[in-house]
Amino acid sequence: MNIPKQPLNQRIFKYSLTSLIVVSAIWSASGLEITLDRILNAPAQIATLVGAMFPLDLSSEAFERIIPKVFESLFIAWAGTVIGAIFSFPISFLAANNITIGSVNRVIKQILNGIRAFPELILAFVFLPITGLGPLTGTLAVGIHSIGTLGKLSSEVIEGIDEGPLESIKASGGSKINELTFGVIPQVMSTITSYWLYRFEINLRASAVLGVVGAGGVGQELINQLRFRDFPRAGTVLICTIVLVLTADTISAAIRNRIIKGKTIKS
Amino acid sequence: MINYPKKPSPSLLVLIGIPAGILFSVFSFLQIGFNFQDFKNNLSNRYLVTDPLFNPKWAWAWENSSDALVETIQIAILASIIGCAVALPLSFYASRATNLNKYSYFVYKSFLNLVRTIPDLFWAMIFTVAVGIGPFAGVLALLMFSLAIMGKLLSETIDSIDPGPMEAAKATGASHNQSVFTSALPQVLPNFTAYFLYIFELCIRASVILGLVGAGGVGRIIETQRIFLRFDRISPIIVLILVVVILIEQFSVWLRRKIL
Repeated sequence: MNIPKQPLNQRIFKYSLTSLIVVSAIWSASGLEITLDRILNAPAQIATLVGAMFPLDLSSEAFERIIPKVFESLFIAWAGTVIGAIFSFPISFLAANNITIGSVNRVIKQILNGIRAFPELILAFVFLPITGLGPLTGTLAVGIHSIGTLGKLSSEVIEGIDEGPLESIKASGGSKINELTFGVIPQVMSTITSYWLYRFEINLRASAVLGVVGAGGVGQELINQLRFRDFPRAGTVLICTIVLVLTADTISAAIRNRIIKGKTIKS
Repeated sequence: MINYPKKPSPSLLVLIGIPAGILFSVFSFLQIGFNFQDFKNNLSNRYLVTDPLFNPKWAWAWENSSDALVETIQIAILASIIGCAVALPLSFYASRATNLNKYSYFVYKSFLNLVRTIPDLFWAMIFTVAVGIGPFAGVLALLMFSLAIMGKLLSETIDSIDPGPMEAAKATGASHNQSVFTSALPQVLPNFTAYFLYIFELCIRASVILGLVGAGGVGRIIETQRIFLRFDRISPIIVLILVVVILIEQFSVWLRRKIL
């Protein structure tokens, strides 16, 4: 049978890529001293830990401690998203290359890239001595990181708009401000709003983690219970977090769907 | 008098949703408790952070963090490779296009969703307790992280493949598994490679903070210095990390362009 072969340079590229992946995996595994022994033992060790979490600690005292922390994470994520949305919205117009002149939008874009480069956790512990242990620090960290990511995403949406409506507004004598309010915003608002909700889903996971450095939220609770070897309660914390994230994800995804796809007409 | 067309009345979702959203925002800000007086008092502490933050000790950071930085990269490489390799078969089971069994589809899909809800650092905390402090726990944590993302992205891509080639394979007498292997897999392989590079970047970023809970990498150095508020030692490490992350991103962008 004659099966046509791939061109030679493509095959060389494919094989060199495969060998690069294999070599780097071996290099990493040997550098981290991961032996077969440890890998084979890991599932049993994990099973022991998960086994220790059941039965869960369902006492009312546990819930009285955990539930407020879980909601604190929710509030941090939401408030952080609101901060990100409010500040990123005007910034994204400045960062779009079809709204502002080249030099301005390039500078703003680089600033947004710079903000995005710092993980929330690092921002959180830099703010910690100034804003104190508590949810305020987490909110600021989440909010500032969100300005970077939302600014980038929104400016890309603005760059992809249809220029037609802008021209027609200009032709009918509209000002630059009219162009923005009647030409740009109606086109981009639905996508940008769905990005805000999407960012909220990501921020919820981030804010759950922030407690590790003491910036509020459920992470503090989990790390404490694991340190004190109170596994049933740690299991309860985990389950509560999962329930919160799943619920928020489902609601937010449904709203995003409705915003993007519009009302479904029942026939 | 010009007859303007009437604006459609806002839907119920907008009527309820926007006030509810604003109310919830106000409520969350109140819950977080922003106290301006406290904030002003604390602002005098800022020299504690800003002075050392802008006086980086380069020599110290270079000497002490370079090994840990290599460890971070190794964790990310290993975790993303294994995670994506495991996710490849799983996502075929978690897609309606290739898994004909409704129940096993539901089980795989829920499993991937469940893994995705747990944040990466929570995985790291769990694994440090289970297998001990060190980079092995970090690898396992990021493995779950990359498994979940790849599973979601890839299974959604498989959902939207062109069913034509699979039908053609079946028409020539191939079994379902054979048709998946010969017709569905080649369609998503370029996407798989692109997602893999994207996940590798995410893993590099995520592996930096794993050390905060004892799961290895450069975060371990950051954590020990953070407790003593040695921001003069932390800031050069952060800059080093940024440089590494940017270099790796550039490499991955170059590779992605070459593949697609």
